Amino acid sequence: MRSSRNSWLTVVVLFAALIVLALLSANSLGSFGITILSGLFQGMLLFLVASGLSIVFGLMDVLNLAQGAYFMIGAYVAYDIQHAGGLIDVTAAIPDPNIRFVFAVIGAILVGAGLGMLLERGLLRPLYSRPIFQLVLTFGFSLVLIEIVKAVWSTTPYSWTEMFGIREGFFELFGQRFSTYRLFVVGAGFALIIVIGLLLQRTRTGIIIRAGVEDREMVQALGINIKMIFTLVFTLGCAVAALGGAIAAPFLGASITLGNAFLLQAVAVVVLGGMGSYGGTAVASILVGLAISVAQDVAIGTNFAALSSITPMLLLVLVLLLRPSGLFGSSR
Amino acid sequence: MSVTGTLKTTSAGFQWSAWLKSNSIPLFILAFLIAFPFIVGQMTGSSPYGEVRGERFIMRGASVRWQSVLIEIFILGILTMSYNLLFGFTGVISFGHALFFGSAGYILGLSLEYVAIDTSLGLALGVTLGILFCGLMGLLVGAATLRLKGVYFAIFTLAVAEMFYIFASRWQLTRAEDGFAISALPAWIDPAQSRLNFYYIALVLFALTFLFIKRLVHSPTGAVLKAIRENEDRAQTLGFDTLRYKLFAIVASAMLAGVAGLLQVILNKKVGPELLSIDYTVNPLLMTIIGGIGTLWGPIVGSSSLFMLDIFLRDSQFTVGGITVNMANIWGLLLGSIFIAAVMVFPRGIVGTSQQLWLRLRAKGAESPPKLHGAPPDQ
Repeated sequence: MRSSRNSWLTVVVLFAALIVLALLSANSLGSFGITILSGLFQGMLLFLVASGLSIVFGLMDVLNLAQGAYFMIGAYVAYDIQHAGGLIDVTAAIPDPNIRFVFAVIGAILVGAGLGMLLERGLLRPLYSRPIFQLVLTFGFSLVLIEIVKAVWSTTPYSWTEMFGIREGFFELFGQRFSTYRLFVVGAGFALIIVIGLLLQRTRTGIIIRAGVEDREMVQALGINIKMIFTLVFTLGCAVAALGGAIAAPFLGASITLGNAFLLQAVAVVVLGGMGSYGGTAVASILVGLAISVAQDVAIGTNFAALSSITPMLLLVLVLLLRPSGLFGSSR
Repeated sequence: MSVTGTLKTTSAGFQWSAWLKSNSIPLFILAFLIAFPFIVGQMTGSSPYGEVRGERFIMRGASVRWQSVLIEIFILGILTMSYNLLFGFTGVISFGHALFFGSAGYILGLSLEYVAIDTSLGLALGVTLGILFCGLMGLLVGAATLRLKGVYFAIFTLAVAEMFYIFASRWQLTRAEDGFAISALPAWIDPAQSRLNFYYIALVLFALTFLFIKRLVHSPTGAVLKAIRENEDRAQTLGFDTLRYKLFAIVASAMLAGVAGLLQVILNKKVGPELLSIDYTVNPLLMTIIGGIGTLWGPIVGSSSLFMLDIFLRDSQFTVGGITVNMANIWGLLLGSIFIAAVMVFPRGIVGTSQQLWLRLRAKGAESPPKLHGAPPDQ
């Protein structure tokens, strides 16, 4: 109990420090709002990559280095479905771009889930007794995925051109225009945090997963088919990453480097939150997202450009020095 | 002690031939590597010193080209061996090895750039400071974080290395993203003037690294390192100060990685942030795993085979049924498949698995399986 109170205290202090910094560097309430919103936006994108990483690592001890590649695949699939002249051209069948975007997101999730199941079932399964080799395997698989993307969609990065309702929308607050789409991503992210949280806390499968994180062998001894659970969790993790790519694509476009850009930060987020702690990952994602955005603001003021890209790593190093097993990790 | 000493001196001749016999393969390889530039020179009719142009040698011709290929293998080999010392023999996974590799390179580059009085002085200063800095960084990172368990330590090193990478690619002193070229090197080591000298320097360092690790692994310290890898708690219970041994391992490994970084910078005569990029962590990690974790030869086999594959296959193209496939275009696909296949086919890496097979075969031939069953994977 004491350790959990300390965790929350650290989190509150960090958040307070960030908000004070943001207030100090902002010159108006509007720009403060923009900083916070873009921080939450980045945090949510990070969460979408990191959540799968976190649950998979907690349960299966697999650090899935291909997670970033699934994010990238999600972005490409969503782009392809939304735009005309791609692999799947549905612009004629579904003329309304809003509805098409919904289908694009669903398509990305399905492709991500399918590829995730393929990786787990086909390749990862024989390797559970050799955890280090999984690193090589998932890394190799991510190379293959990137190559497939290159072959299908070529190497030139795409930027999103086909607009739809919420992507174009703006709303005003404190005399500042905010993009509705960012708000939508933040909302979707929070919804997902809650849904996955409920799934883990309230459902029978969720209880089995959490029990598996604690003690895998005991769960197996109770007669539960843990391999099924592994497949399920891994597929879910990849699907969530692909979903992240799909809803990030309207802002970031689709490019080969997209996946690995997020992967490093996502790994940092998982460790920052504490291995195997889902709530920790969620809190850490938001924390890192906010920190990046605040640091961007400060960096513009102080003419120190490296600051914003260095921030996640700096935060991680500081937290690990103070709390050796992350914010919410158990000190096992 | 004295008994073994007299035994050695009385039967020196016998010992000598036994030593030759048991080390015949490494000695043969060493002899081959020493003669290599001349062999290639003979075969292709090109001079190993390069072409003579008046007073100077121009670095051109097959022999010279092959020398630089081998130099790159030596560099990768040293880096991978240093990684294996930490990862394979001590069981500490670091994701920040590029930090040591790159920062040594940067220090050498900067000192050659800013100590303009004398290039030899700049070189000596850069080499000394680079290696010392690596040792110090290893000590600092280790002292701050070796208490952290497994993955936390790995990610901590990753974070530190990434910070260095970002700084180097943004800082004005290090010329940001572009890096800078090294204009002057002492002629005796400059690969653009006397490649053969540099080839032998790299070869000597490569051989010394191998000998150092071999000696270390078979020493009492090495035994403790392996004990830490197998079960740290037990090693601690036996009374070993495991933290100190791990610190020693990380400092030694960091300095060796620094040596590789120095060689890389001298070979390319260029310093840039890519030296600190995660590639130089991931490559030795993969090469160690594919070659064989915790084996003496694994890193060498892994790094040289992957690098050779890169050289030979990348530029080649072949035609299947009227379709010409350019290897460079599908290189990532091929590399990814190789990683996947290697992990599936060689569960202990190339060296580890073949040793296992060899032991099993021999056990079958000698019909004494119980004795050899628990043979250690090292050697």
